[in-house]
Amino acid sequence: MACIAMIYNGVWSHYAVANAPKYREILDLLYVHDIKAGDLDGYQAIVVPFQSHQTAMKALKDDVFSVLARGGKVFVEGDSTWLDATWEDRPVNNYWWVTDPGNPPAAQTDYSHPVYSGLIPRHACWHTHGIYTAVPVSAQVIQRNGAGEIVTWETSEYGGKLLVTTLDPLVEHGVQQIRHLDNYVDNLVNWLCDVRPQGRVEIDWRIGLAA
Amino acid sequence: MTTTSINSPLLRGTVVSNGIGGENGYLGGPDVDFCAAEIGAHFTLDLSSVDILLVPNGSDNVALGRVSVPIRTFLDRGGTLICCDGWVTPWVPGNEWVMSNDHRTIDVRYRLVSDRFGVMNGVDIDALTYRHGISGWWACGYINAAPGADVILEDSWGRPIIVVDKVTTGGTIALTASGPIGPWAGDDTSPSGIAINRLYDNFLKLARVQ
Repeated sequence: MACIAMIYNGVWSHYAVANAPKYREILDLLYVHDIKAGDLDGYQAIVVPFQSHQTAMKALKDDVFSVLARGGKVFVEGDSTWLDATWEDRPVNNYWWVTDPGNPPAAQTDYSHPVYSGLIPRHACWHTHGIYTAVPVSAQVIQRNGAGEIVTWETSEYGGKLLVTTLDPLVEHGVQQIRHLDNYVDNLVNWLCDVRPQGRVEIDWRIGLAA
Repeated sequence: MTTTSINSPLLRGTVVSNGIGGENGYLGGPDVDFCAAEIGAHFTLDLSSVDILLVPNGSDNVALGRVSVPIRTFLDRGGTLICCDGWVTPWVPGNEWVMSNDHRTIDVRYRLVSDRFGVMNGVDIDALTYRHGISGWWACGYINAAPGADVILEDSWGRPIIVVDKVTTGGTIALTASGPIGPWAGDDTSPSGIAINRLYDNFLKLARVQ
């Protein structure tokens, strides 16, 4: 058993990042529609990537939050509508670094958070998938966009640490069109389970393992 | 299998829904009467009355792997599969998608190989290569095409990016190496938006002449 369970929606980018040699001993893929009661027991942390099945995640919410209740950590990325928060869509700008490099989508970042510690602004935000208009009252905001809207937040309200962002580091690390995401994802993995992966991610492609 | 003539205005299709909203842009279009097949815990796929199975980018390849038999039956009856996803389970007959980060996206260029079906008619290849001046934005990885399949587009390293396979099954398999296509791009009047909209229209024509 790896230390982190990654909820898997059968999406290729989920598969690519979790099966990369750099991460394959750290991340277990758990297919979202096969998860049964107790399957998340024993994991230090859970990650829910962008492009997760929102209806299925609503059904799994209690299981995921039970990990928080025992002091674990949960990371949720992208356009999540199953949390005790309100997400809204916004246009995705993934070319700002060419047209307006001084104006990244996240205008404010709390670099004292362990996931963001040591990152330069470009590594801390590449693009966002919407914003949150309401978050738990206990939440600490980590990132905001130029309009002051919430991009990333964290709360301890449920026991452990719940970190939520509209960034998509796990999906984009699997896609590999953005090549600097080792910085963010390695910080994230280290925060989730005290393991710091080394080196640059490589794709060692083996098809069909998740069928 | 319903055979639809080139003059018929409406095809019938199934678009796979993965709980992420990827199907929404295809529903209600003028060319295809699409119904969404919502993936869940006990997913089944009834393709007995449709002409097209469309698999958008971001689909659930575990679920699709579990319905590979009805997909093969659908194809052998003359159906058309349009897949613009990276299929990480072997549910696409004869063809394999391979994810790779061996090359930098800044070096990606596409070029036409052959096009007897007119898949690239009116499609600006440079608009698939570049978006906002950034190359390698559209597809990921490449396709190991089935023997006898038509490679339409390849990348800088001669790897297939768009494939049309009319030999492996009794139907048509039209594939991109995960590069998205769709009518929703009609809202995007950039050269890249126009290119992926026209590519989608041309993929649909493959079903009309089936």
